[in-house]
Amino acid sequence: MMIRSTQQSIAARVTNNLQGNLTRLGRLENMLSSGKSITRPSDSPTGAVSALQLRSQIRSQEQYVRNGDDGVGWLGTLDTTMTSSLSHIRRARDLVLTGRTASMSGSATAREAIAVEVENIRDALIDLANTTYLDRPVFGGTTTGGLAYTPAGGYAGVPTGPGATVDRTIGEGTSVRVDVTGPEVFGVNGSGTQLFEVLTAIATNMRAGDAVALGTDLGNIDTAMENLQTQLANVGSKYNRVEQMRQSVSDRTLSLRTQLSDVEDIDLPKTIMEVQLQQTAYQAALSTTARVIQPSLVDFLR
Amino acid sequence: MSSTFSGLSTALSALYAQRHGMDTTGQNVANANTEGYTRQRVDMVPRGGAEVSAIHAKWDGPGVGVRVDDIKRLRDGFLESRGREEHAMNTFQNTKMSAYNRIENVFSEPSDTAMASQLADLWAGWGDVANRPGDTAAREQLLQRAAVAADGLRDGFSALSSQWGTARVQADSLVTEINNAADAVAKLNEVISQAQASGMPSNEMRDQRDLRLMDLAKLAGVSVVHRENGYTDVFLGGSTLVGGTTTRHIEILGGNRLEDQGADPVRLAWTDNGLPASAGSGSVGANLDLLNNIVPDLAGKLDAVAVSLATEVNNVHRAGFGLDGVNNRDMFVDITGVTGITARTIGVGITDPTHLAASSVAGTLDGSNAAALGNLGRLTNGPDAKYRSMVVGLGVEAQTSQRRAGIQATITNDMDALRFADAGVNLDEEMTNLIGYQKAYEAAARLMTSIDEALDVLINRTGIVGR
Repeated sequence: MMIRSTQQSIAARVTNNLQGNLTRLGRLENMLSSGKSITRPSDSPTGAVSALQLRSQIRSQEQYVRNGDDGVGWLGTLDTTMTSSLSHIRRARDLVLTGRTASMSGSATAREAIAVEVENIRDALIDLANTTYLDRPVFGGTTTGGLAYTPAGGYAGVPTGPGATVDRTIGEGTSVRVDVTGPEVFGVNGSGTQLFEVLTAIATNMRAGDAVALGTDLGNIDTAMENLQTQLANVGSKYNRVEQMRQSVSDRTLSLRTQLSDVEDIDLPKTIMEVQLQQTAYQAALSTTARVIQPSLVDFLR
Repeated sequence: MSSTFSGLSTALSALYAQRHGMDTTGQNVANANTEGYTRQRVDMVPRGGAEVSAIHAKWDGPGVGVRVDDIKRLRDGFLESRGREEHAMNTFQNTKMSAYNRIENVFSEPSDTAMASQLADLWAGWGDVANRPGDTAAREQLLQRAAVAADGLRDGFSALSSQWGTARVQADSLVTEINNAADAVAKLNEVISQAQASGMPSNEMRDQRDLRLMDLAKLAGVSVVHRENGYTDVFLGGSTLVGGTTTRHIEILGGNRLEDQGADPVRLAWTDNGLPASAGSGSVGANLDLLNNIVPDLAGKLDAVAVSLATEVNNVHRAGFGLDGVNNRDMFVDITGVTGITARTIGVGITDPTHLAASSVAGTLDGSNAAALGNLGRLTNGPDAKYRSMVVGLGVEAQTSQRRAGIQATITNDMDALRFADAGVNLDEEMTNLIGYQKAYEAAARLMTSIDEALDVLINRTGIVGR
């Protein structure tokens, strides 16, 4: 049977085909101009959900980097402060050694001078112990106050304990403590080896010329110094750890970004190619249509 | 024996018939591009002599010309009913597709600014507060981000709600359109059956009625039965919408707000007896699907995101202490204070940034509670996951709907092309017919001339021998 065809049916088919061509072209050009192959969830539901997940992961990695930066700030401040504290303590120890000999033979004036210097060192150390990072005393734990130590050398911060540490989340499930409290570094008040108390005792004993007591003090100051050195090593190793984690989180962010781009960005050469092909197809359709629709028997009748 | 002048009448009948043919061709050509026009063909029947023999009178001559029996309307009823079915399905799928399209625009994912990013910003904000619990700037920023996330949920809900409202108004006007079209069909039924009874032409009115029927199919997916007397009965979901010259009207009932839909679903009913009417396809069918299923489902999922966000955050937040040392504060609250937290009512309950519970120990600058809050974004069944699953669900539905609509559009277009090919005017064909009619007309005129000449011989030149 011959299939009947009319001007209307040809027009309907041609319109549909041209419409389809133009829609495909429009879609490709939209992709090309936005640079994205997924602009709405229905473009690719699975792709869209990966894009969402990757974005949120990138966001949390970025936060880890920020946390790491902050942690490095804390640990760096601790490291410098403790290093310079250590040199002050060494000087104090030297003074004790000098003073112990002087207490046997030296004059009261000389001992007084040493005592004053030790007191100055103590005050300088208390100042160092009150070092702040972004307005928070780094040895004060989670204290809300501005000082970790009172001018007299008493601890004013929050004692070490659960919920009283400064922690930074630097990776998925990885939290690092980025502070040390005053008592951990300088000794517990009243324990006899608390650095500032030891220094006060040294000044007193120096003035009194008590060589035996100074001997004990020397032991105490050594204990305090060892303790500080241990803590310094601890801080240093944490610094390295946070720094490394931060680096690896940065790398991971980069790789996540690449994945995100793989998921939602277009393949430029491929898309340009497709647009060209589609344009050619559209033009061909237009020109054929123009030729097919025009003639009818009317043109050829006299 | 045939009459002397019978040849003249034969020629005259031919002239009439061919003229009729040319007129019909003219009508076809004139309406080549008229929507819904069906090509017409002159049905010519040869006129025979007397068929009943009588004593002393018997017809032994040829027939006595031609007569126009009918002007046929060349439309295939089967194709037409297939066309209506496909169009009903096509409008159904198309309406759904564009609804999904608009809903996708509401959420505009994936992007760097939409809801998912707003939630990520909120968690990152908690991270910053954990780093600097005493810093009011970080707290202020977090409050803003929380407000943005809550606003995002409320905006999403209100966009859904306004889409629902638009669809609801549309449903009203669609029902009015259905009633009007049904009235028009009933009116045409009356006119056509009268014309048919009195033997008058009704082709153009039938075209009109077919157009109305197609409108009804697109609106509500009706089924159609043609009767012998020229009536066409229309059925909606098995019940009579148009029976002969009478129409039953339908109305739309149900809530006028998305919030009321759950208790009072939107539905069709017959005005006369109040029984439920059903429209499985057509734009009304799609509209009802949108009003009762698609939008309420999404709104429910968005509510779940809001509830999850509020519950997860509040649980952890209540355990922590603000800078003022007070705990048990809710971060997200119901701003209307009536219905409980939903996507429509979620808001930030904290105005003073120092009330944000970053610390798990009162009176310290501990940030562990803030850090715990910042980790909520990674919960496998938390607000982020719920939102993502909502978006992927929407994407799958929208994609399916697009594909279905695409397939249905192809089928419908093919069906239309077939219908146009069957019932449409082919100009080549009309021209050919025109030539046929024209030549036949010329020949009939020639016949008349030759009979005239023969009679001339008989009348004027016979019996004048030797004159």
